[in-house]
Parts: sequence; C-alpha cells; structure tokens
Amino acid sequence: MPERNNYSLHSGSSVQNSQGRTVNRRLPQTPPQSAFSGKVSKRLSKTQMRFKMFSIRLGLDLPFCLLVLILVTIGLIMMFSASAPVSYYTTGDSYYYLKRQLIFAVFGIIAMIAISYFDYHFFHKLAMPILGLSFILLIAVLFWPGNSEVKRWINLGQFTFQASEFTKFALILFFAHWGAKYFDKTSTFRYGVFPALAVLVPTVGLLALEPHFSGIVIMTLLTAVMMYLYGTKLRWFVMALAGVLVVFFVLLITNKLGYAMERMDGWGQALTYTTNQMWQTTWQTRNSLYAIGSGGFWGLGLGQSRQKFLFLPEPQNDFVFAIVVEELGFIGAIIILGVFGLLVWRGITMSMRAKDKFGALLGMGLTAQVGLQVVLNIFVITDFLPNTGISLPFFSSGGSSLLMLLVQMGIILSISRNANIEKT
Amino acid sequence: MAKGNKQRFRQRAAILLSIILVTGFGAAICRLGYLSLAQGSVLSEKAVEQQLKDTTISACRGTIYDTNGKVLAQSATVWQVVFAPAYFKNDTQRQIVADGLAPILGMSVADVLAHAKKNNYFEIVKRRIESDARDKILKFIDKIEKEDGISNVIELIQDYKRYYPYGNFASAVLGFTGSDDQGLAGVEYQYNDYLTGKSGRIITAKNANGMDMPYNYEQLVPAQQGDSVVLTIDETIQHILEKYVQQEIVKDKVINRAVAIMMNVNTGAILGMAVEGGFDPNHPFDIADSATASAIKKLPVAQQSNAIAAAQLKQWRNKAISDTYYPGSVFKIITSSMALQEKVVDDKWHYTCTGSLSPAPGVVIHCSNTSGHGTQNFLKALCNSCNPAFMTIGKSIGAARFYKYFQAFGFTQKTGIDLPGESEDIFFKHDNEPEGYMDAVDLACASFGQNFSITPIQLITAISSVANGGNLVQPYVVSKVLDSNGNVVKATEPKVKRQVISSDVAAQLRSMLQTNATTGGARNGYVAGYHVAGKTGTTEKKDHLQGPDIEDYISSFCGFCPAEKPQVALLVYFDTPTSGAYYGSMVAAPVFGQCMKEILPYLHIEPQYTAEELSNLDIKADSYVGDSVAKAKNSIQNSGLTSIVKGSGDKVVRQIPESGASVPKNGTVVLFTDSKSAGEQVSVPKLTGLSMTEVNRIASMYDLNVCISGASSSGGNTSVTQDIEQGTLVSPGTVISISFANSSSDDSEDIVR
Repeated sequence: MPERNNYSLHSGSSVQNSQGRTVNRRLPQTPPQSAFSGKVSKRLSKTQMRFKMFSIRLGLDLPFCLLVLILVTIGLIMMFSASAPVSYYTTGDSYYYLKRQLIFAVFGIIAMIAISYFDYHFFHKLAMPILGLSFILLIAVLFWPGNSEVKRWINLGQFTFQASEFTKFALILFFAHWGAKYFDKTSTFRYGVFPALAVLVPTVGLLALEPHFSGIVIMTLLTAVMMYLYGTKLRWFVMALAGVLVVFFVLLITNKLGYAMERMDGWGQALTYTTNQMWQTTWQTRNSLYAIGSGGFWGLGLGQSRQKFLFLPEPQNDFVFAIVVEELGFIGAIIILGVFGLLVWRGITMSMRAKDKFGALLGMGLTAQVGLQVVLNIFVITDFLPNTGISLPFFSSGGSSLLMLLVQMGIILSISRNANIEKT
Repeated sequence: MAKGNKQRFRQRAAILLSIILVTGFGAAICRLGYLSLAQGSVLSEKAVEQQLKDTTISACRGTIYDTNGKVLAQSATVWQVVFAPAYFKNDTQRQIVADGLAPILGMSVADVLAHAKKNNYFEIVKRRIESDARDKILKFIDKIEKEDGISNVIELIQDYKRYYPYGNFASAVLGFTGSDDQGLAGVEYQYNDYLTGKSGRIITAKNANGMDMPYNYEQLVPAQQGDSVVLTIDETIQHILEKYVQQEIVKDKVINRAVAIMMNVNTGAILGMAVEGGFDPNHPFDIADSATASAIKKLPVAQQSNAIAAAQLKQWRNKAISDTYYPGSVFKIITSSMALQEKVVDDKWHYTCTGSLSPAPGVVIHCSNTSGHGTQNFLKALCNSCNPAFMTIGKSIGAARFYKYFQAFGFTQKTGIDLPGESEDIFFKHDNEPEGYMDAVDLACASFGQNFSITPIQLITAISSVANGGNLVQPYVVSKVLDSNGNVVKATEPKVKRQVISSDVAAQLRSMLQTNATTGGARNGYVAGYHVAGKTGTTEKKDHLQGPDIEDYISSFCGFCPAEKPQVALLVYFDTPTSGAYYGSMVAAPVFGQCMKEILPYLHIEPQYTAEELSNLDIKADSYVGDSVAKAKNSIQNSGLTSIVKGSGDKVVRQIPESGASVPKNGTVVLFTDSKSAGEQVSVPKLTGLSMTEVNRIASMYDLNVCISGASSSGGNTSVTQDIEQGTLVSPGTVISISFANSSSDDSEDIVR
C-alpha cells in the first residue's frame, strides 16, 4: 500500500502499533522526535487505554466532546429563550423551535458518537463523490420547488436544509483529501492553486446564483484556510485577494449582487438611518445592537430579554447571540466565546496530532469552519459586517445545520481517536 | 522535504489557530464589549424607548365655582386620537386608516396620512374629540382589525375639555385655557398650578406589535384631579352688573368697553367684576364683538391676522385691572379724605367759586359751571363737584402731603388682587425731581382727579377704605381652593394693609357722600329705600378715539351702601360714550342705581324707606279674575289702587297688571269683563323728556301705569328712558318703567375746559 505512505504523518509511533488498524510501518528514518507522540506513549499504558471511557478502540477526545456537548446545551437553552416569544406569537407554542431543535440535537449527538467510531479514512475515498454531490445539490437548489427569490433550501417535506451546508463540508473534505494526497506538491500552482480555483470558482458561481453572499464569503475563507494549511505560497493569497476585490467591484458596479447589496445598503447605518427605507432595512441590525447594548456587563438575566419580543426579527436564527448578550451580558458572551475558543483550540491542536495528514487537514478545516462562523456571526450582529445571514454554530435554530454540524464534530472525534494526544 | 513540510504544516496550523482565536475572537469580544459596555447606556435607552410605552393620563382640571357653588368653569371628558405609526405594516394600511378616520375627525386624508407616516409610537392626531366621534372610531378600530388585520395602531386616550356654561360671562375674571389645558388668562392663569392637577402616566412594556408583553412591566401613576377654586364672585350679582352695563353700552354707544366692579368694602372680596367687550371663554380666540369681527373681515387679507391679534388682546384684557384712566371727580372722595384728615377744611371753611381758577400764571382751569357756584361750604363744594374749590383744597393740602396720602391709599402700588395683568399707576413725572413731585398745575389737576392715571381696581379699593372706616384692604376674587375631596387647600384671609384715615373722618365723609347721592350731583344713582353714598366722575380723555376734534370722556360713578355701615361698593365706568351724553351723572349714575336696586335686596340689605318713598312703593296686584266687577272694584280700592273697567260683562275675565305683578302706588288696575274688551290695545306714547307730573298725566290718559326709577323726586329732573318703546301696542294697564335723571344745566359736573 504505497499510497498510504504519502499521507502518513507519524512514523513508527507506539500508538500506531497498539491498534488493530494496519498502518504501514515505515523505516525509522525519522526518529520519534515528535514531542507529542513521546509524551502520550509514556503516560498511557495499554491497560489504561482499555479502561478509558469511550475507548472501545481508542478513546475519543473527551475535552472536545465535552465542549461540544456544553455548547449544544447552552445553545439549546439560549435558542429556546430567544425564540419563545416569536414562537408563541407565530405558532401559539413557545416550545415550537425548541422541540424541533431538540430532536435534531439528540439525533445529532447520537450521530456524532456513532460517526466517531467510523474510520474517517472512509471519507478519504468519498471526497470526490461528495464534492460531486455538492455541485449537484448546488445546481438542484436553483430549480428546487418552494424557493422564491432566494434559492437556498432543499425542501424534503418535513426536512429542509441549506445546500451550502453540505458544500462547506464537501469543500473541506476535498481540500483535506487533495492536500493529503499531494502534500509535497501543493506549494506549486498546479497542485496547490489550480485545483482550489477549479473547485471554488464554480461553487462561488453557483452560490451567487442563489444568491448566498455569506456562503460565498465562508467558502472563500475556508478555501483560503485549507490552501494555507496545505502549504500554498503566500503570494497566491495576495493575488487571490486582489482577484476577489476585482470581482467584487465588478459585481458591485454591475449591481448583480442584488439581495446582498440591499442588505449592505444599511451597513453601519443602523443607528444613523436617515430615511424611512433605511430605517426598515436596518431594523434587524438596529434591534440587535439595542439588545447587545441593553445587556451591559451582567445582562438582564436569563429569559429577561425584551428585544426578543418581536423587536428583533427571527431572534432564534442568525441573531440569537444578540439575545444571549442581552440576557447574559458581556460576561456571559465572553464565557460562551471562551468555550468556542477552547473548542477551536482543542480541535486544531488535536488535529495537529492526527494520525495522518488527511485527518489533520480535515480536523483543522472542520474546526476552523466553526471558528470562522462564530467570528463572522458576531461581526454581523454587532454591525461590523453587513447583515448577510451567517448562523451561529450550536445556537442558531435550524435542525439540518445542527445535525450536519454534529456529524462534522463526530468526524473530528473520529480523527481524535487516532490522534496522538492525551484525551482526558 | 517531508520534514520541512511537516514543520511548516504545524507552524501554519498554529498561525491559523492564533489568527482565529486572537484576531477573530479578540475582535468579536472587543466589538461586543464596546457595544454592551461603552455604548450600553445609549443603546439600552433607545431599546427601552421602543419597548416601553409611556402614556400620559391627563388630569381633570379643577372646577371654578362662584361663591354659592354655581359652576362657572368645568372640565368634561373628551378623547384624543393617537397613532402608533410604527406598527403600520405598509402604506396600504396607512391609507385604509387615513381614509376611514379623516371624515370622522373632520381632517383631510392627507393630514391623517402624514401622521400615519411618522416612525414613532405616539403621534397625537387630534385632541378633544367628543364621545360620538369616539364611538365611531371605536367601531372603525373593530372593523379594520377584523377586515384588514390592522391592530394596535389607533388609540383613544382620555382627555379633558374646558366648558364655561355661561358663555361670555365674567370672562375677564375666569380667563380661559389653551390647547394644552393650561390657563392663559384670569383665574385660570393665576390659579393654574392649583387647577391643573398632576397628570399621571401608564408605562407598559409593549412588544413590537404593540401588545402587552407577558411581563409585569406596567406601572401606573394615577392622575390627580386639579383643585377647585371658589370665587368671591356671585353669579347673580355678576349677571346684574353685566346686564345693566351692557344695556348702557348700547344706549349711549360706548365704544371703548365698560367696567363694573362690586367689592365687599370690609374684606376686599370682589362680588362682581363685569368687563364688557369681553369674550366667550369657550371660544377665546373668536372675536366676540360682532362689529369688530365684521370690520376685520372687510380688511385686506394681509392685515387681517394682525387685526385679529389686536382684537384678541383687547378682548382678553381685563380693563378693570389692566387699564389705567384719569379717575376724574370720583377722586374728589380721596381729596376730601385728605382734607378732612389733615383738617384743611372745617365747618367754617367756605369757598366762592367764580367759574374758574388759575393755579399758576398763565393757566386757567374752569369749573363745569362756568358762571360759578358762588359761595359754598365744604359739603356744598363736594356735592357741586366744584373744581376751583378742590383746587384750593389741594393747594392747602400741599403736594407732599397729597402724595403721602396718594401712596397711603395704595395708588402707587398694585392692589395685589389675585388676577394676572394688573397695571401700575402713572403719576406726574418731572425730570430732575424726586418721585411724587408735583408742580402747582399738577396739584390743582390732581385734586379733582385729572392728569394722573390709576386702575379702576385701585380706585374702588381706596374708596372702600373710606366706606369701611379707613382700612385699605387687599381685593381678591378667590375665596377658597378646594381639593377633589372638598377639603380646603387654601383659604383667602381678608387682608387689611393699613388704616389710611381715621374712622371719624371716614364716617364724616360717608354722610357727605350720602347727601351727594341723595340731593347732590350723584343723585341719579339714588336707590329708593337705601342710603346710598357716591360720587360721579366725568373724565376728559386725551386719546381722541372719535377723531381729532371730538373730546372723549369716561363716565364713571363710584359709591357704596348703606352709607351708615357700608357693605358693598360699586364702581361703574364707561369708556367713551358717543351718543352725546357723557356726564357721569347721566351715563354711569343710573347704571349704578339700577344695579344697586337689584343687588341690595339680593344681599338682604334691608331697605329703610322715607315717608315719601313709602308712599311711592309698588303694590302687588291680587287676582281679580272670576270675581264680580263690584267686588273687584272694592278690593282694588281697598289696596290703594284705582280701577278702570272695560267691557260690559259682570265678571272680570282678565286684568292688567296681572296677579302678582307690581303696580305703582296710586296705579291703575284695568279690569276686562268680556272677550271683546280683553283684546283692546293702546299705543304707547312718548314718555321721555317729561317731568314726573307730565309722565303721570299722559300715562293716565292712556290707561297705562308707570313705574318710576331714578331720582324723580328731586326738582328739575326729567324722564330719560322708557322700557317699552313709543308706538308699541300694549294692553291698557301695562306698567311702563320710566327712569328719571337730572339733566339741568346747573348739574355740578367736573368738566375742565
């Protein structure tokens, strides 16, 4: 199996041996100098491994798992708090959104644990088919019945999901696959830049047709992250940035961004609106700012938000964190962001110790996606970026995206099982 | 290469991690901190602004009562229409509401739409709509909620509107309120703080649809009803004053308004303050005087608004306290007090009037009687209102003492009456001389009340001090302020400022003034049965309202009653009568008499008739209808009346005057004995310009009764008015009121020439 050698990151470590999984032993031309691998091997005996919780094969990363569970729990509570009035006024049932979200959370967590047992290398093989499926979905969504001006959702009766949610995963998976496969060549244009553009450009094009401006931003950022990780030279980023700017301005001038542009209109003017039109356009952002400002340092207390009473439209979605700040205050926001930060830190450091390059790239990409979404979401609700519709992972209402997110967390946990890192 | 790659990969992962955590999360936290901490207060304030709905509850303004508890001003519930335009979902909704409400509110659709397009939660569309409009709006709200799904947009809030049940009545005292229920004039202004009450608020938390939040945010601060004010004004007295002043204004074509003030001389309480040429407090901005209003309409449009503003200011001006005038001969009461107090005059004092006097070289001042009053003692000089005599007295008093008393009588200060807009006097001004300096001419003129200006309220207050034994009181119109439970919040205690003259001097002067009102120059103000004291005044004005060549006058009369122990003082004054009659004795005195004749019995002041007066007293006619003619004639004769029988029937079918009506002593009761005679009528003859004897003779020729008022008993008086016009057809026996007044050429009036 010579192919495997290409993406085997660690060589000759004890962890590899302990598993039933067959990993090609390479000659010890590289001494086990990895600081991480050395430590782990010293501390964990085989007996210890056997009695570890979740360690049917190898233990999953308990800190990461706990962080995910904490975020899911806090997210559910806060989403419920934020959505209760809207839920009551629109459906007559305060628990409407909670119920749906809870079902998906439960299934999502089960799926997460289950997937953590799967060998993520399975996805290595599936990378290209999944990318293909992503394109099919992106095309299908444009013609899917039920969408009006904005074509983002694929409606399967009870179950609705955003096509771009899948695209994000497909994109990360593709880059992990590609990066791992051609790790030594990715600094070249042919292996590093060209395939990235080949995937990104049609994706962005299809997203622009939906239109889905925030999707474009996230896809582009994720592509950049993955390219950066697999070693694309920095000059390409500079050039790409220039290219993006050019494209952006062309679109700006030709006024093709339509929907996103309309949202951009009120950017930064939520509090300084001058026209009725502006007042209407910036309604959501303004009320988000009011909510955040009302929170102060200590917040109004859990459940005490006033802005959720129909002032802030759809408080259960992208703007849920504004209600969180209103209720839990700046201190609550810092704690939650701290948990997110720990998650990102754990996800990336753990991925660094993944068994192979594919696992490392995939884990980092999926983790970075969570971190980016958190940052972008907060930028949006604080009127730091235009209101473009970026949801907050674990918090924003939306069953399919929560399920998708937890599946991805499951993949990270699966990577962690084989990672050379202390998992308690 | 592989190792280099691996290291670079780890390095890049670490950089990525730090970029996300430090840059991304750091920026997010900074931004959140900036908004929630630095901008927190600003943003939360705005949030609260949209979340809390603060509704003001108007307080019901207190009531104004007359002294007997009759309501003179009252607030009634009305409604204000308020939009919360932010809850409109689109322009279609705005249009529906505007189209529906405009006709109910009597506004244009565009106006209503303009309100609906605002971006707030409290937009007053119209204030003070009445209950019927409110009912219509409530129905409309129901309808649009059901049919168009528009809710929480229109609200009706309780409000109050001021009503003045008597209309144009006592308006100078009551004043009026403005659009925000705030007092703008009169008692409404002066006692605004008491009357207003405290508006309350309801603060409720509302969601973005304007519905109450399921939170207990509601806070209610109830409105406190304003205190009520009880005036010293007596509605009956006020009506009597206004009635006769208005009559006189019409009769003698008074062009610059007129005033009547009645004061309780002992307390300073104002019982009535009629300022004619006023306004209807229900519509204070309308020009009440129809002549003025139509004159304004004829003006070019550009000048109309100024003219309207001027006319409004004029009608709002309380002439009784805001306008100053030369008091004229009425002021001789004050000069007399000084003279008596300072013993400048005594029993032996006498003065020979030659018709004029020169107070200073080159200045000659004439007496009204240019041929001179001859030798007079002080009483005679007062009754003749002899100007040279008073100039001489003034000179004896001297400028310094004169000014000292002038100050003591309160003419240099506001009286402190509890009404807004009181003016100060205008005294002689000389450069480089101290305040109060008068030269010889000033002093001479001041002695008979010319060339310095005071307000009517100052004058009646000063004269009240003569009436009450020398005490200068502070006039007031509000006796009590009551809270909504009827507890007294504030009661006005009568305030005596100082004793100006001794009670002996006051008593002496009262008897002189009584003589003056009985047989002297003021006898036209005499009221049969009552010991009236008074003084007339005819002021020469300097403003020539009628044109440069015509002299303008103010006719005034001030007196009190009963002379021995006065209770009430009354000042009447007519600014610029233009009918030709302008003497105080001709214009003002009869009004004084008419008012007093009705008011004194109302005040339960017992009449003390002289024998002559008793013989002239009216008799109430009994009912004779149904009696036989013989029986009726007999009983009529027994009651001191004469009878005339008309027709040929046996029984009386009708009588004039009717049962219960008053018949003058020695009057005639006409008995009709059949239906033919009952319809008989006579044409009223001219009964003015005649002597008493002539009036009686002519009246009996026509089988008419006459009721005499005014100073008929004195010689030389002629009848001046008759209440039923010449030529009117009336039944025989009808009583015609004739008023007499002195109009002889030797009337001692004080005209300066």
